[in-house]
Amino acid sequence: MYNFSDLSKAVIAGQESKVKELTQAAINGGAEPLAIINEGLIAGMNVVGARFKSGEMFVPEVLVAARSMGAGVAMVKPLLLGQEVPSSGKVLIGTVKGDLHDIGKNLVALMLESGGFDVVNLGIDLAPDKFVAAVKEYQPQVIGLSALLTTTMLVMKDVIELLKEEGLRDRVKVIIGGAPISYDFSSEIGADGFAPDAATAVDLCRKLLA
Amino acid sequence: MPKSQYVRASFETCATPQFRVLSQDQCESIFLGALEVLQHTGAEVNSPEALEIYRKGGCRVDGTRVRFPSHLVEWAVRTAPSRITMYDRNGNRSMYLEGQNVYYGPGSANTFTLDPFTGERRRPLKQDTARAAIVSDALSNMDYVEDNGAPMDVTPTLADVHAFQAMVTNTTKPIIHWGFGINQYQDIVDMASACVGGLSELQKRPFLILYSESSPPLRHSSEAIDKALFAAKKDLPCIYTPCIFSGGVAPATMAGSLVVAVADALIGIVAGQLVREGSSFIMGGPISTMDMSSSSLAYGAPELSLLSAGLSNVARYMGIPMFSTAGCSDSKVIDTQLAIEAAFSILVAGLSGANLIHDCNLMDKGVTGSLELTVLDDEIIGMVKRILRGIEVNDDTLAVDVIDHVSPGGHFLGEEHTIERFRDEFWWPTLISRVRYDEWKLYGSKTLGQRVKEKTQEIINEHRAEPLSQKILDQIQAVVDRAEAREASLKSKK
Repeated sequence: MYNFSDLSKAVIAGQESKVKELTQAAINGGAEPLAIINEGLIAGMNVVGARFKSGEMFVPEVLVAARSMGAGVAMVKPLLLGQEVPSSGKVLIGTVKGDLHDIGKNLVALMLESGGFDVVNLGIDLAPDKFVAAVKEYQPQVIGLSALLTTTMLVMKDVIELLKEEGLRDRVKVIIGGAPISYDFSSEIGADGFAPDAATAVDLCRKLLA
Repeated sequence: MPKSQYVRASFETCATPQFRVLSQDQCESIFLGALEVLQHTGAEVNSPEALEIYRKGGCRVDGTRVRFPSHLVEWAVRTAPSRITMYDRNGNRSMYLEGQNVYYGPGSANTFTLDPFTGERRRPLKQDTARAAIVSDALSNMDYVEDNGAPMDVTPTLADVHAFQAMVTNTTKPIIHWGFGINQYQDIVDMASACVGGLSELQKRPFLILYSESSPPLRHSSEAIDKALFAAKKDLPCIYTPCIFSGGVAPATMAGSLVVAVADALIGIVAGQLVREGSSFIMGGPISTMDMSSSSLAYGAPELSLLSAGLSNVARYMGIPMFSTAGCSDSKVIDTQLAIEAAFSILVAGLSGANLIHDCNLMDKGVTGSLELTVLDDEIIGMVKRILRGIEVNDDTLAVDVIDHVSPGGHFLGEEHTIERFRDEFWWPTLISRVRYDEWKLYGSKTLGQRVKEKTQEIINEHRAEPLSQKILDQIQAVVDRAEAREASLKSKK
């Protein structure tokens, strides 16, 4: 049994160069590639998630830890020989038509990635048909809609309606977020969930896919 | 822990927020006014020992009226040290009472307490004082401990002794404590000495400040002044203050109130310096307006902050460490008035650079003590300390290279520069809520008052200070037993 505790600790500390070094050492030492990811890299990231929730770690530290984990995963990936990189699920995310705000949406994407999700970040100012086309192309389990303005948040409802028309609504969970959004609005327009912040969005996706 | 806390930043950047309410010339005028009062009007002193010390020292003594020549008072101000280093119970330095360093803590001797579990307003018990020590010990922004009420479930004349036992066994932080008389002061000093291995060790590394209060204007009973003499003889730091009610025991004007406050402090400082040149004195004390509808001291008045800041300016001018007041209120419950008055006074006291800031527990005109207020104040002090730290400006903090690296439209969350600095640069709330509405609702829609109560109860149930050895606990108990025997025999003589 290869001991991955140092590798996990390096991920928790967000030490990218050390993560690379220890990942290489594990590869050279003959460790199972999937084990390096699951028991070393993701195990460290799980600790980060728990500490973030308990208020011991903060957003910048989570991002750096996620980045260091990503660097390790990139090294192991070519060795998987057809095996899939373990994923919590695929999420599409974008800001709706008429709205150019994206810092919050990008933060949600980063937090989802650090939580082990495959994230496709579609960008900003997206009309409902763009979301529908992307759902067809990427086959995600979840799509996340973002809006900062009370005028643009109504587009979220249009996206949901169009998904229904195209017969796609049952195949994908829709989550929404942004400053003007509330739980009430989320149920009003028939979304599957609302997260008040980026960290909660990760929990929400896990819950919806459980 | 850094020796100079906040002013250090201004050496580098001139950006630490500071304010003064009195100019140097105004401070001088108040000091000179006090000298004139002491020389011409003098004071009533009802202690034979003090009268003899003043007479030998060069004061004019007529019966119990003492007049102080200005040169003698000026000498005393010069010889009293401008700085006092305080230690914790383990002998580590914990407070540098000098310059504009600020340290916050609760107050003492209130006659009611607000029970943090039942919400009942009732008489304080010895267990409440133990709780007060536990709560202050746990809170990082409480730098010292006071008793949060004179316990009433013990021998009445030994409430001070029992309170000290409850405190010293439940905290390692420095303790400021009062006493009824010299016998009790001796008991308290003996208990403190037992903790550190003798009086000489306590003198070398004091974790106890003795507190004595005179009866303004210009009247000093033997109970008050003899305690100042005791502290000087024992070579232990002493807070000697009047409690000034503007319009009651001092003129209604702010400046006139400051003159009385300074004069009454000087009477103790002169006595102390005549007993032992260089003995450590701290001036200040509660100073506010008399509420003209109820004739009691207003603890939440803006004048409390204004007068305390003014007195801090004069104390700094004189080079005497300052004992100020903040974090207190006239409210009867944990409500908005309480939070407004506490926050205002904590900010002003912090900006004024007063060294010891007390009463971070007193509400209801100082009659009622509340540990919930102490917990709330801890949060407010955290915010104020962040403001006092100011803005550090240098190449590293200007971060132009980081801005360039992130480039337009990017974000700084993942930058090493951010990771390395955000924990120090940002203040972190522990009670103040910043979550979004839905999340707040999800966790029970709790008000600040509810969160404060929960935290207070959690600390009382879970926090325990580093314990003393059984041997020291036994020595402390022996002092309490000795005091009980003494009071019993005094009572039977009567």
